[in-house]
Amino acid sequence: MENRKENPKNILSKVLEVLSTMASKPSGLIGLSILFFHITLAITSPWFVPYDYKAIDPTLMLQAPSSEYWFGTDSLGRDVFTRTLLGGRIALTVTFFGSLIALLWGGLLGIFCGLVGGKIDDIVMRIVDAFLSIPWILAMLLIVSLLGTSIEVLIPALGFFYGKGIVRVARAATHDVIAKDFIASAKARGHSNMSIIWNEILPNVRDAILVEGAMRWSWMLLGFSSLSFLGFGVSPPTPDWGLMISNARGLMSFAWWSVISPIVGLSSLIIGINLTADAFAKALGIDRSTKAPV
Amino acid sequence: MKHIFKLISISLISLLVTFSAANASSGVFKLSHDLGFGKDTNLDAITKGRLFQVVIMTQNRLVRKDLKGVTSAELATDWSGNADATEWTFNLRKGVKFHDGSDFDAEDVKYSLMRVKDPDIGSPAKKSMSSVTDIEVIDSHTVKMKLNTSFADFPLLLTDYRLRMIPSGSGDTIGKTGIGTGPFIVDKFDPEGTTILKANPNYWEGAPGLAEVHVIAIPDGEARVQALLTGQIDMNRYVPFTQKKIFDGNSKFKTTVVPTGNWRGMVMRTDTAPFDNPKVRKAVRLAVDRQELVDLVMGGAATVACDTPVAPSDQYRLNMKCPQNIKKAKKLLKDAGYPDGIEMVIHVSTKEPTWPTIAEVMQQQLAKAGIKVEVKMTPSKSYWKETWMKKPVAMTRWNERPADSALHEIYHSGAKWNESFFKNPDFDKNLANARGELNFKKRRKAYRNAQKTLWEESGTMIPYHVSKLVVTSSKVKNLDEVEVFSVRWHKVKVD
Repeated sequence: MENRKENPKNILSKVLEVLSTMASKPSGLIGLSILFFHITLAITSPWFVPYDYKAIDPTLMLQAPSSEYWFGTDSLGRDVFTRTLLGGRIALTVTFFGSLIALLWGGLLGIFCGLVGGKIDDIVMRIVDAFLSIPWILAMLLIVSLLGTSIEVLIPALGFFYGKGIVRVARAATHDVIAKDFIASAKARGHSNMSIIWNEILPNVRDAILVEGAMRWSWMLLGFSSLSFLGFGVSPPTPDWGLMISNARGLMSFAWWSVISPIVGLSSLIIGINLTADAFAKALGIDRSTKAPV
Repeated sequence: MKHIFKLISISLISLLVTFSAANASSGVFKLSHDLGFGKDTNLDAITKGRLFQVVIMTQNRLVRKDLKGVTSAELATDWSGNADATEWTFNLRKGVKFHDGSDFDAEDVKYSLMRVKDPDIGSPAKKSMSSVTDIEVIDSHTVKMKLNTSFADFPLLLTDYRLRMIPSGSGDTIGKTGIGTGPFIVDKFDPEGTTILKANPNYWEGAPGLAEVHVIAIPDGEARVQALLTGQIDMNRYVPFTQKKIFDGNSKFKTTVVPTGNWRGMVMRTDTAPFDNPKVRKAVRLAVDRQELVDLVMGGAATVACDTPVAPSDQYRLNMKCPQNIKKAKKLLKDAGYPDGIEMVIHVSTKEPTWPTIAEVMQQQLAKAGIKVEVKMTPSKSYWKETWMKKPVAMTRWNERPADSALHEIYHSGAKWNESFFKNPDFDKNLANARGELNFKKRRKAYRNAQKTLWEESGTMIPYHVSKLVVTSSKVKNLDEVEVFSVRWHKVKVD
């Protein structure tokens, strides 16, 4: 690993270079395409959905797919196509910002612990271990039961629970870097810890943390949808894939259309993010199979 | 000759064995309960945590409703009232034994019913027995119940599903033993797992057709449907109508639609703003399109109710129309000081599978009147303990009761399960008048006046009385097609 501070590159050209490398492999191209498709859909779908997502109609209950209702209707007579198109918006928004929070606190705390070491590192890592031992779904249920299921609660809560693993990755990556001479030089020059983190360590562990963050994003998406499935994610009538699957699961044997569409939406997005994260890791030269233990 | 005698003997023995086998209890009938009261679940019928799925099979009442809904004899054989209906004499069935081998007699009746009034027990059924001042034991099989008021329908009150007969002095242990005179005996009580009942061979109506009944705790409504589909249970009496198609045409299952007085609804606490204002409560009720709820949630299999808990088949029910009236709802909100509408959070859980759907549909309906609804999911397991009667707005469900019981128990200002904290002196007075009125028409008028008050002021929105979709495995035979408290469980068989 080298000190990239001495070879600064234009961020935009770096991004384009990474994207180009990612797209050069079929799996990377597929992953990027799926992700791009979902993000585009999430942003633009409110402008072209054919029906009101919350309009209930007893005369249209569980209609099979037709030229009028492409994906059929659900048990309240709502258009499944409309609700599927809109169903990923909240999930993408919540998990994207949740992942950013996880990256920020997990990454910075991990680097700090790796750098300072000693008792502070021990204490912080034991606290992180303690939190890692708590099943996240139970902790999340407790939080949403107490504070509600608004986005303002879900984003930081998910960000916190999914950031715990990043702390360990960032700390392990930092350990690889701090033995290098340029860190010793920076210390000898009297640089502060914050200066060393920002200027010396971060550029060298950034890629590992970003790849970990990308993977956490897909896990968080699955976690958020699990919460919605249990009824503790977004509140009705907001269309959400997890909630749609939950509502329609009992109808699967005779109204498959009401449950298939959100399943395809959710699983394709998770696959897309995973393929993208893998391609991202390869483009940055990180072998995820031999990365530091989490 | 010897051979012929042998042959005849063997044939006779074979016939006897075949006949005995045909009449012996056999097979296991598996059903579920929702673990509504968690660890407080018990087998004492008069307590809040009673596990009624077990109690109805292990204990009997004095009086029950027959398959046509008419008051009929159970452990009492007949009864009569004095001229002003303030004293009622009940003759008891002889030769009936409890599961512990003791005889059922008048002392047991006195003990079982008088303990309902015990303030230390705090029974939710206490209000039902409030008119009984004393029970006099005339002889071993005759009791006289003395009331503090005339009560022409008193025997009807005793059909209450909780007023079960238990051995005298067994109050401290009944919660775990469940001892009664019923067709099944508690073999193992495990409220959070599987409770096992065994056939009572000495049951007074004849030995049960089943060897065992297993009552399994499955808190989630969807999980109960799946349990039925996979054969984990043999009966589910809470299958949503939207899922009827799963079972239609499937030879492994039998579906039956049973009209009932059971209802689902939404409770607004009348002691909490903004629902402490009757105009707000009525505005919410007026903004609901009940027929649409019946169609969307129940697939049409329900009877619209105008916030009365009294069953559609009950002689005292107030039949009225209550169509959605958004204009009037808005005006009431404005008069109440909320010209821009109100915001409310409806707490639901999957304990009752239709609750989230009812709330979601109401969310759209109430929005038209400027009432912004948030639907909030709460954990199923602790719903009755943590949400119901705690949150300002929550969903509720009740089983059918006689009109007098339903009105007293849910709305009387002193009732333990007054879930909306409703207090109205006129309403209480009407109920008191109804009980004391010997003239049927006047009595009916008083009960209906009470229901009118509920429509104007109550905190409970009751959109419909459900027709129940009962789904059983096709192995289940002889199950009466009536509401659960009238089923003759000793007749049920499983192939």
